[in-house]
Amino acid sequence: MPPSAHSRGGYFANVNPPGRKPHRSDILDWSDQVRIANGRLREALELAGVLPGADDWRRFLDRILLFMGVVLLAAGVIFFFAFNWQAMGRLTKFALVEVPILAVLGLVWRLGVDSIAGKATLLLASLLAGALLALVGQTYQTGADTFELFVAWAAAILPWVLVARFPALWIVWLALLNVAVSLYFRTFGLFWGMLFDPEKLLWVAFGLNTAALVVWEGLAAGGLKWLRERWSVRILATASGGLIASLALHDIFEWHNSSHWGAPLWLAWMVTAYVVYRHLVRDVYVLAVGVLSAIVVVTSFVANGIGHAEAGVFLLVGLLVIGMSAAGGYWLKLVATEEGS
Amino acid sequence: MSAPTREALWVRLRDSGLVVGEMPAAGDASAPWYVRVMLGIAGWIGALFLLGFVGAGFAFVFRNSGAAAVVGVGACAVAVAIFRVAPKNDFVAQFGLAVSLAGQVLLVFAVGDWMDRSTLAVALFVALQQALLLVLVPNFVHRLWASWSGMFAASIALMDAGLFGFVPAVTAAAFVWVALSEFRLARHGPLVRAGVYGLALAAGQVAVLPGSLLGELFYHHGDHGVALGIPGVWLARGALFAVLVWAVAALLQRERVALASGPGRIGLVGALVLGLVSFKAPGVGPAAAILFVGYANADRVLTGLGIAALLGYLSHYYYSLDATLMEKSGLLVAAGLALLAVRLAMRYWWPENQDKSEEAGHA
Repeated sequence: MPPSAHSRGGYFANVNPPGRKPHRSDILDWSDQVRIANGRLREALELAGVLPGADDWRRFLDRILLFMGVVLLAAGVIFFFAFNWQAMGRLTKFALVEVPILAVLGLVWRLGVDSIAGKATLLLASLLAGALLALVGQTYQTGADTFELFVAWAAAILPWVLVARFPALWIVWLALLNVAVSLYFRTFGLFWGMLFDPEKLLWVAFGLNTAALVVWEGLAAGGLKWLRERWSVRILATASGGLIASLALHDIFEWHNSSHWGAPLWLAWMVTAYVVYRHLVRDVYVLAVGVLSAIVVVTSFVANGIGHAEAGVFLLVGLLVIGMSAAGGYWLKLVATEEGS
Repeated sequence: MSAPTREALWVRLRDSGLVVGEMPAAGDASAPWYVRVMLGIAGWIGALFLLGFVGAGFAFVFRNSGAAAVVGVGACAVAVAIFRVAPKNDFVAQFGLAVSLAGQVLLVFAVGDWMDRSTLAVALFVALQQALLLVLVPNFVHRLWASWSGMFAASIALMDAGLFGFVPAVTAAAFVWVALSEFRLARHGPLVRAGVYGLALAAGQVAVLPGSLLGELFYHHGDHGVALGIPGVWLARGALFAVLVWAVAALLQRERVALASGPGRIGLVGALVLGLVSFKAPGVGPAAAILFVGYANADRVLTGLGIAALLGYLSHYYYSLDATLMEKSGLLVAAGLALLAVRLAMRYWWPENQDKSEEAGHA
């Protein structure tokens, strides 16, 4: 058996997000087994420190009000410029977005990028930058395609993203790149449908998200503690795994019109994910994504291979799905239990 | 949680008289939420193939509503028996899930035929059917499905009755009421928790697709209290406002926090702000309810779902046709400033050292 994650120390020891309170599920489990005195579950949760206390509530409300306020403000500004109010002069419009950006940057300078308020304010500045770029395109009719707006937006905020050391802002940045890629293929696909087919979009998106995932995990393992929050890397792993599974399905159902690389690379992705997330980083979430991906791809392969819509085939494939998911669920629960032991 | 930590916790609880005897072995707590989601999705894929099996091998079942009802009831009964006889066997559980889902589809097909495809009758039947299965089937994934689909069917019934505008308020109220009772109803923990997640999904869905889109997708109706006209719309939004204020008051009461205290005032003012925003942006109310109640119950999955629902609603709000982009912009800016003002107020009404001095006073 590999050494426990906790005994190894360093990055691999810490796949749980900071602040996690892992007693909850155990206490609820004990309650379900009628091992906790009747009517005293809440008391047990309080004693274990599971339920948030006054300090936890204050910190939570402080952050949630800050981020909700910031996101709503930024969305409000973006909606305003999307309305394209003709009665308002050009200079006023630019002032309406540039002055807040300058004010927000001043605030970031005062708060410092290491404070949570500073990071939230930099997020606001990054979102407002998009509104400014959209306004430039709207006002001067630059003729740029929509994907160019998103590329320019991502390029413009890159310095802030780099200094912020804030996973949420990196996810926003990667989302901008994904939207840009998608819009690029949609734009040119209309003109040169033969050259830019959907498979190419899937490949580029897969490359982008997989590269981001590898770099993210590599830097986190290399010592960048602020990159160790699992929710963000799980988004990337889901995107990467989902895209390569889609490419494998494209191979299965469109064999004559596909590159034939989807299925082999899906297999390579599965093996790599197993090695990395079972033995190195240890993240059951990514393993669960892999199991679901295996169920979908193998089922599609078998169903497509048999080809007849007969009762026996439906029953066989149905039982195959049930068997694979039961075995996968059993294995994942085993791994999760092992992680906790 | 590691074994030594679990054991230390067990000893602490035992010393306080909260548990008795030896610590039990790790149970279902080791199945994280994403494993359950995976099992649920796979269960649905399996069910579709089983339905294909019934359709291809026993075509008469789909041609005769009586036969469909008999096979549907039989499949559901077999599933209930399977789950009760072998609740811990993974293969049997997945098989039972797929059989039950196939049975439910057949029953809906049969009832739809009998009721002349009356939306209201079928929706009410589905809501009752799912409520019954929620209680009868002792399986988390199945209960979550029954809870969500039952609430969704109830929403369709409200929509058909011309009360679709009330769906956000009703769904949020149902979620808050059950979620805040989670610890009180500890004896029915597995049932209540699965119900909470199902209702949270329903509330999240209502938040992201709050009215016009959902209505048009499923029933070709907009986001209106159709039967009551414009007053109905305002009444429905008022109901959501009332639900949010009630939710905060109930939460404060559960946490034994006085309404007039600093935290109490912050909670109520926050509820008033979000309630007012919900008048024009009704997705905010259910999403905020999931977020705050999830945090109160120390449930990270619900908290994450609440954040996702808020962001999802914001994306949808851009395209909703209820107001112009200018109006929506004004509302968002006002709401953002109001929330930042509440955060500022928190520093005065609920300063950081207040709890410590209160604790010192109690000691």
